Formats: sequence, C-alpha cells, structure tokens
Amino acid sequence: MEYDIIEEVNELAASGGTLEERLERVARLFALKFHFDECLFFLAGEGGALKLAASSSGLCTTGVLSYGNGEGLPAVAIEKGVLVEAHKGPRGAEWEGVPDRGLEGVSTALVYPLGGKGASFGVVYLKSRERTKLPLVKKQLLKVAAIQAALMVRNAALIEDHRKAHSELLEIQARLASSEKLLALGDMAATMAHEIRNPLLSIGGYAARLKRQLPPGSPGLVYLDKMSHEIGRIEKIMNGIIRFLKDNLVELKPDDLNGIVDEALNVFADEFSAHGIAVERRSRHAPLPVLADREQMKIAFDNIIANAIQSMEKGGALKVVTSRSGDFAVAEVSDTGGGIDPKHIGYIFNPFFTTKKHGTGLGLPIANSIITRHRGGIEVRNEGRGASFTIKLPYSGAARPGADVPPVEAGRAV
Amino acid sequence: MKKRILVVDDEEGLRLLYKEELEDEGWDVDLAASGEESLERLEKDSIDLVLLDIKMPGMDGVEVLRRVKEKWKDLPVILCTAYPHYKHDFGTWASDAYITKSSDLTELKQTIKEILGKKR
Ligand SMILES: Nc1ncnc2c1ncn2[C@@H]1O[C@H](COP(=O)(O)OP(=O)(O)OP(=O)(O)O)[C@@H](O)[C@H]1O
Ligand SMILES: [Mg+2]
Ligand SMILES: [Mg+2]
Repeated sequence: MEYDIIEEVNELAASGGTLEERLERVARLFALKFHFDECLFFLAGEGGALKLAASSSGLCTTGVLSYGNGEGLPAVAIEKGVLVEAHKGPRGAEWEGVPDRGLEGVSTALVYPLGGKGASFGVVYLKSRERTKLPLVKKQLLKVAAIQAALMVRNAALIEDHRKAHSELLEIQARLASSEKLLALGDMAATMAHEIRNPLLSIGGYAARLKRQLPPGSPGLVYLDKMSHEIGRIEKIMNGIIRFLKDNLVELKPDDLNGIVDEALNVFADEFSAHGIAVERRSRHAPLPVLADREQMKIAFDNIIANAIQSMEKGGALKVVTSRSGDFAVAEVSDTGGGIDPKHIGYIFNPFFTTKKHGTGLGLPIANSIITRHRGGIEVRNEGRGASFTIKLPYSGAARPGADVPPVEAGRAV
Repeated sequence: MKKRILVVDDEEGLRLLYKEELEDEGWDVDLAASGEESLERLEKDSIDLVLLDIKMPGMDGVEVLRRVKEKWKDLPVILCTAYPHYKHDFGTWASDAYITKSSDLTELKQTIKEILGKKR
C-alpha cells in the first residue's frame, strides 16, 4: 500500500518556504498520488470565508478563488465533518442541489475538511474531469494525509503567533533596556555636572583675580581674558545641563495641593475654550497641605492635563477633584476622551511609549518620576467615557516625608 | 570694626577663592570645610554673616541653616547653590539671601554688602 504518502506529507511539511509554498507541494503530491487533475487547499480567512491558499496547478488557477460562508461543497464537508464525494454529469455546477462554481467541467470531486468537526479551518478539494471512484482504502489514506496537512497548517499558525510574541518581547526588552540606560546616563550626567562645576568656578574665580592683579597692558591679560571667556562658556553649558537634569531633584516646601492644581489648570484656560472642553473643578477639602516642589508638580499636572486635552480635541469634559483620603492629598483628573486601549494601559508610564504621531512618550514618565520623588503615586484607569488619573501626595499633616524639613515658620521672603 | 564672614564649603579651591576675594573687599574671613565644622566655629568666634554651601557631604547646608537660625536668630545667612535661575523662596527656612554659584563673584559681594549694610 501507499502509506508512504503520509511520510511524504510530513517531509513536505518540514521543508522550507512559506506555508503556501509547502501547501502547494502537498497539493501536487495529492493530485499525483490519488490521480486527480487538480488539488486545491482552501483556508478560512477573516469572517469565515474560505480563500484559495494553494493549488497543484499554481495559484493562477482559473477556478474558484474563494467560498463565502456556507457556500458550495466545502460548506457541506465542514458542516458534516465528513469526506464529500460528488459524482455528476459533465455539465452544470451543482451536486445534489448544492450549487458550486468549482464543479464546472468536473465529473468527480472530493472535499474533505481540515481540522476536526466544529473546528475546521479549511478544506482540501480534489477535482477530476473524468469520472473516478476512489477505493475505500485510498479514501482512508486521503483522510489521514489530509489530517497531516491540516496539522502542518495549524503548526504554521502557531509558529507565526509564537514568532510575533517573541519579537514583541524582544522589542519591549530593548525599549526597557534603553530607558534604563537613559536614566543611568541622566544620573551620571547630573553627578558629572555637579562635580565639574565647582572646580570650574575656582578656575574662573582665580583667573578673574589674576586679571585684576596684573599691571595694565601686560600681555598675560589677553590670555586671561580668553580663559575667562571660555570658562564662562563652559559654565553656561553646565548650567544648561543642570537645569535640564533638575527634574531629578525636588525641593519640598509646604504648599497646598489645591493651589498647585488651580495654577496648572489656569495655564490651559485658552486651550480649554479653543477645544470646547468644559472644566469642572471641585475641592472636597481645603486647604490640602502637602510638601511639594511647586514648579515640578506643575510640570507633572501639565503633562497629565495636556494628554487629557489631546484626547478631547473635538470637545469634552475635564473633571478635576481634589480631596483628602487618609494620609494622602489626592487629585483626580478625568476626561471624556475615549480612554486608553486596555492593551496599552500597562505601558503608558514607560519612557517613549506613545500612540501619537508627534508624541515623545515622555509626558507620563516625567509626571510619574516627579510624583514618585514626592513620595506620592499615580494611577490610571478607564472610567466612564475616558481616562482617569489619580495623583496622591502625602498629606503633610499626617505623613512626614522630608523628616529633615523644619516646621513652617513665618520667615522673611528673600 | 571689620565684619567677619564665615565661609562654609566642602570645596577647598572655592573656600580659598572666597577668602581672598572677600578679604580684598575689606572683610575678615573664617573658613569651615563642613557643616559640623561651621557650627563649632560659630560657637567660638563672633561671626557677622555666614556664606553657606548647600550641597556638602555629611550635614548639608539646609540642616546647618536650620540649626543656625534656631540658635542665632539674627545672624544673616546666604545660601549658595548650583541651580541657576531657580531662586527659591527660602523664606520658610529664613535664609537671608539665595545665591547661584558662579565664577563671577560680583553678585555675591553686592549681596553681602547689602545685608551687612542693613545691619549697621
Ligand atoms: N488622557 C488620556 N486619554 C487617552 N490616552 C492617554 C491619556 N493620557 C495618556 N494616554 C496614552 O498614553 C500615551 C503616553 O502618554 P505620554 O504623555 O507619556 O506621551 P504622549 O502624550 O504620547 O507624548 P507627549 O507627552 O510627548 O506629547 C499616549 O500616547 C496615549 O496613548
Ligand atoms: Mg503627553
Ligand atoms: Mg558643595
């Protein structure tokens, strides 16, 4: 007997190339071994329609390219989960009342579902112009070989899924590594800027002294001028770096969360009206004493509010509620901008994660790092018709974050 | 009477620079290399103004400021920091001025003059 066809299908399954290329080799093998003119593989695509995936005569077949849901012999085979054997007259495109365009000019057709009953994802379709009758053994053989081919298709899908998941993982890993590197780099730069700055100030200071001590007209003065000028330049650069990295440090002072939030909201007044955004501001408790670096906290709120506005460019409602909850002063910023795709929600605080064409993906990570440095926290959830961000800072009456910070006294302002 | 200034900075080069520059302006200058040392000096010597670096290992400038103001309420203190254009309202900590460190000491000298002048 010709059981070796099973072995051959297995070999083809393991051969190289795309799934379609391998299926085509299997189709040719089927046509040859079972003495049919043509062998076709149809696979389910989106919406359940069957699409021609491979043909023993190549994909430029003149026959049917796809079957709609419930159409033709493939539907019968899939529904019943059996081998459909159709014998018909030389003309016409139907068999026992089932119309099938693929039967045109065909006398014998065999259709067998791929995958078990109720879980079929395609069919193998054999056609012969001549009337042929496959002996029972050969039919059994065909079924086994088709199951083998079905396995090959399913494995290919699994491998594809696996490959995709793997490459996504690799990408996330790379992004994480780079954000960690960036943070480490930032720390290093901050330390360097500080370390370089002090000696630089000495050099500059002594150069200025020397300049004053030299008698007027001495040639050394020219060099000293140049030195001072260059030192001034480096100082400027260092100042720029330190200012940029200043994000890394917060200087906590007694403040009122209500005031911070109000100030942050004020900045956007024009934008709210330009985008038709109604703002609802409520403070359940006032004041809300916190220890905060006001400028930094404003940056954090700026980023959160900017995101909300960007999600409601065509109008909406922004709700900002502040309150005290146990040891925390809490601000809740909710919008009606459609919320965050659940599959993104775990990533939005990662540096560089953005769904915006011109986004940097740094808004939320910066907000998060500022809030964390205040020993607070930020959380997000989808709620109602949009996203809701909850920002918590230690209530300065209850929790005492900066243990070294002295109590407030009515001091003189500088 | 010459006014006496205590310069507190962990950076030796800067301490000496301040000393020379401020002495040129006609003030007496004492030096302390750490927060702890500055408090010892304050106990011993009579000081008219403290020039205080914020970032120092061990006791930092903010902590020194707090202790100084607890004990010598009226002693003027100028805080020096590395952050340019970031003038804090250090009012809650009762510092008398806040200076950004720079190799150009003009602003510093001006501030010292103003504070010492006021006290006279
Ligand atoms: N209020 C919100 N509604 C819907 N999606 C949001 C909201 N806030 C943040 N997101 C999602 O989180 C992502 C990351 O936000 P983040 O502020 O970190 O970067 P960005 O806004 O994309 O870029 P940039 O802040 O530089 O403009 C956004 O791209 C968006 O997909
Ligand atoms: Mg943003
Ligand atoms: Mg220092």
